[in-house]
Amino acid sequence: MRLNLTILTISLGLLAGTVSRAQVYSGYRHFDGEHRNEVSGFLTGGFNVVTGTFFSEAATYTYHFSPRWSISAGEQVQFLKWVYSADVMGTYRIPIKKKTNIYIDGRFLFNYYGQWKVSEPIINLSALLETSYVDLRWGWSFVSYHKSGIKKEYKSFTDASYAEPLVMTFGLGVNIRERSNPWNLGLYIRNYDLFYYENWNINWGIRFHATLTPLMKLYGEFNVRPAGSLSQLATRYETSLKVGLRYIW
Amino acid sequence: MKKILILSILAAAAVLSACEKVSPAGILMAGTAVEDRVKMSNLFYKEHMDDHTVLMAFGDYTFIVGADSHLATDSGRLDEMMAIGLENEDLFYAHLGDLADTKAEYYSTLDSLLKEAKKRYVPKYYTQINEYEYVSKLNQDEHPRPVTYDEITFPFFPVVGNHDITHNGWALWSNIFYSSFYEIDVIDFLPEGDIAFDHLIFLDSASGTLGKTQIDLINQGVLDGKYADGESMYRYTFVFSHTNIFRPQFFEFASTFTREETFFLLDQFEKWNVSAVFCGHVHTWDERNFNGVHYLTLEAMSERNNPEPGNYLVRMHVGEDELAWTPVKMNYTPKNKKK
Repeated sequence: MRLNLTILTISLGLLAGTVSRAQVYSGYRHFDGEHRNEVSGFLTGGFNVVTGTFFSEAATYTYHFSPRWSISAGEQVQFLKWVYSADVMGTYRIPIKKKTNIYIDGRFLFNYYGQWKVSEPIINLSALLETSYVDLRWGWSFVSYHKSGIKKEYKSFTDASYAEPLVMTFGLGVNIRERSNPWNLGLYIRNYDLFYYENWNINWGIRFHATLTPLMKLYGEFNVRPAGSLSQLATRYETSLKVGLRYIW
Repeated sequence: MKKILILSILAAAAVLSACEKVSPAGILMAGTAVEDRVKMSNLFYKEHMDDHTVLMAFGDYTFIVGADSHLATDSGRLDEMMAIGLENEDLFYAHLGDLADTKAEYYSTLDSLLKEAKKRYVPKYYTQINEYEYVSKLNQDEHPRPVTYDEITFPFFPVVGNHDITHNGWALWSNIFYSSFYEIDVIDFLPEGDIAFDHLIFLDSASGTLGKTQIDLINQGVLDGKYADGESMYRYTFVFSHTNIFRPQFFEFASTFTREETFFLLDQFEKWNVSAVFCGHVHTWDERNFNGVHYLTLEAMSERNNPEPGNYLVRMHVGEDELAWTPVKMNYTPKNKKK
């Protein structure tokens, strides 16, 4: 029965694409000293005011070179929204205490918004402080975009390109139990999600993870993405549910 | 460790409840809904199509744009905007939202201010022919249709801003302006006898999103203004929005549109063949071109935000073959300004 469950969950994981993105997974994410490989993936279903109902799959592979260094690469396809994403990220871990770490993440992300023919390369540099109950991310993003498919011939590349001023990245998460517990629930607010970095439009939501086997975890979140930030004007813009699997070996 | 958890929750709660503009309840629900505003606006236009405002111009014309007046107890800057437009004979005024700061008395002041401005406007552009009726001085018809004072539209066209809708401000705002999502045509009678149509589009972006209803209406083409053969009927199209598209500086944290909505709008402006988009909200000047569309983000004209005289208004010059804008200086400073 346990084997069947494992096969089922691995299959779901592969279907989803696989494993744990740092932004979503709420357990400890450092190298355990034994399993250098990590794959995670999830499925998302949601509704967006502009694009309507959408579904997406995402997958990430992470390799731990050492207790300090790791690198990961991922992809996401948002069906019906028609957004295609790919990223690579390098991470350096600074241990502070036994259960407290700081992660320095450098990331390159590329998005293509198919409906509007917009390419969006993003560079993000941020630090994540992860304690037993609380995690706090802060950093900056360089976001630019370019619209292709220009109809008028006299327009140049630069006429349809824009580099935003630096965008601050911040996120705060709290868990109700110590992070290493086999299951956990938490709350978060942040101005980014896996494949975008916003300015002052702030997501919030509920996250969870649960241990299925010693090597596999189920995780996910219910994400609310209002327009108009956290103010009284916060207006329905997007809601989504993510469910994923994380496997290490 | 639990202490850290409790302290973090308390700190977050303190931050969320400390500022009037940051509401924990706002995380869960909107105090005012763009969907309702757009539905009301659309209903108003369906029921009052005969009142659809058409402005008439005769050759080259100008219009004047201001943003974020945040009217409270001092109406000096808005008064000055009215006077500037009247003196220069601008065809119309456009205001980019955050007209007043959401207290009933401030909107009463605004209403009085607009009525006073209309009292100065009507004698300049209309001749009174009897106790109740007026005819336009600009209308070159041999027998122009007389209109009553109430039928004369004072050409002040605002979009709604986020400060206009908090604390049930929409009830106050809509009582004066009725509609937050609307369009106006300008018919320009050119010297050679030709006629050109220009298009003014006023979007409801006060909530940081247009919302599903407004986006659906736009996708249905309610603002496209195209002939049966698909050609646009408009010479120039101007869009007015409170929320800005482009963020002028990295330390500007006013919420802009989300990613998808930004790209949707950039694409839509191109489809509408927009000449210029005017935005407010962020209180900082920005000018740029993107994909053939000119974007101007205006500084706040509010005397509390910018007490010193400065170029807070923009005048758009609309010519047969070219468009140009010039800054317009405001000289008013608050009476109680500390020197």
